[in-house]
Amino acid sequence: MAEDMISLIRENVIQGRVTQDDEGFDEGKVGQPGVSELTEKALAQGINPEDIIKRGFSEAMVVVGQKFEIEEYFLPDMLASAEAVGAAMEILEPHLVKSGIKPKGKIIVATVKGDLHDIGKNIVSILLRGAGYTVEDLGNNITPQAIVDAVAKERPQFLGLSALLTSTRIRMRETIELLTESGVRDKVKVIIGGAPISEEFAQSIGADGYGADGFEAVRVMEALSTNVEG
Amino acid sequence: MLVIGENINASNRSVAKALARRDRPFLQDLARAQAVAGADFIDVNAGMEKGSCEQQMATMEWLVEVVQAATDKPLAIDSDIPGVIEAALHKYRGERLIINSVTAEPEKLDSIGSLTAGRKAWLVALAMGNNGMPKDIEERLAACELIMTHLTRLGVKAEQIFFDPLLFPIAVDTSQGLVTLKTIDQIKSRYPEARTVLGLSNISYGLPNRRLVNRAFLLMAAYAGLDAVILNPLDAKMMSFIKVADMLTGKGTPRGYIRAHRKGILVD
Repeated sequence: MAEDMISLIRENVIQGRVTQDDEGFDEGKVGQPGVSELTEKALAQGINPEDIIKRGFSEAMVVVGQKFEIEEYFLPDMLASAEAVGAAMEILEPHLVKSGIKPKGKIIVATVKGDLHDIGKNIVSILLRGAGYTVEDLGNNITPQAIVDAVAKERPQFLGLSALLTSTRIRMRETIELLTESGVRDKVKVIIGGAPISEEFAQSIGADGYGADGFEAVRVMEALSTNVEG
Repeated sequence: MLVIGENINASNRSVAKALARRDRPFLQDLARAQAVAGADFIDVNAGMEKGSCEQQMATMEWLVEVVQAATDKPLAIDSDIPGVIEAALHKYRGERLIINSVTAEPEKLDSIGSLTAGRKAWLVALAMGNNGMPKDIEERLAACELIMTHLTRLGVKAEQIFFDPLLFPIAVDTSQGLVTLKTIDQIKSRYPEARTVLGLSNISYGLPNRRLVNRAFLLMAAYAGLDAVILNPLDAKMMSFIKVADMLTGKGTPRGYIRAHRKGILVD
């Protein structure tokens, strides 16, 4: 019974359906319960929220990532799946608090000063929410000082910086330097991304990780979390 | 519709490599190919790779020289750094040109606007201020108003301004196609002397068969009154659609369309 429910949730995350009114990746899905309705139902049946997240959402998003990589899925397919998980996480949140399950962690994201591009950052934010992280988005064109202030105040486990221009990626280095000066560098893992960013660049400015796309950002964060715990 | 060929752009990996090793023939071939394909302007973007402002200026100067040695087509100087634009202007031998681009930020409007005034230059002005990408029509029109007021005060004429209403991926936000089209329409009615320009390929980001989406949106934008477009002129079907759109909107003529047919450049 619980197994059936979880596999139904997984299937609908892969289809990218928030509610029963949504279309899916495949035809003929409208009218069948979506991830929101199924999550409510699963809770009513007493299924453990942690099971729903780990075996419903996370496993499904791994499949979505694979499908995106081989270009079976395109951007709108991937976003729909992440949105379905994001919506369902909101339903689960009060239950997680009640059962004492810690959320996965918090990340502050920002596009750096001088850079007004926010589409990439927004896509990554949706995917991170879909992976179960709490995301606080500072917006774009954000100064190193404003980013460091937010980190000092909010104490997130992660900081995600985005830049689309080669002329603005230098602000990432400045932000990391300011984190160090302000004595909070060791409190937060910094991961960066954007068109002009490479693994090499990330290392050269002392970032903790680099994600070429949203899925890689999630993988890098999971790996960094394991390191923190271990 | 005016076509600005986008291919010489440092965000293009092969171009970035060619710039780094100062590969003259590669860049000149790319310039000539775009000219032959019917581009009215050749955009030159030397990137903003690591290094000092002086290095960036040097790369741009070199690129301008290389491209104008290969083609007589006027250039679109693609940078938002006043020093780099100035360096390009210094080397540029042509008369007509496009400066691409400026945003609704007072300091940038001052410096880049002054470079435009008194020249036979057109200036691409993005309909955005320093609050990031505007989501709705009103925010974009507010940026246009600020740009128009500021630039005309500097002596730039309205007919020198090409407003870029901005175009976001339809894959991310399905409202954005119509937002851009309606903004074009509003700009045309508010500032009849100014013109509009779009970077077309943004619309199809994240989708399969991107060229198909780009072509369809071009026709819609032509109907909304778009005057110029930044695109890859080596897409022969796209260039055919531009000929068709010009005829259907009355900007071109049926006989012009037939001439294109006789030249064999129309691809079905």
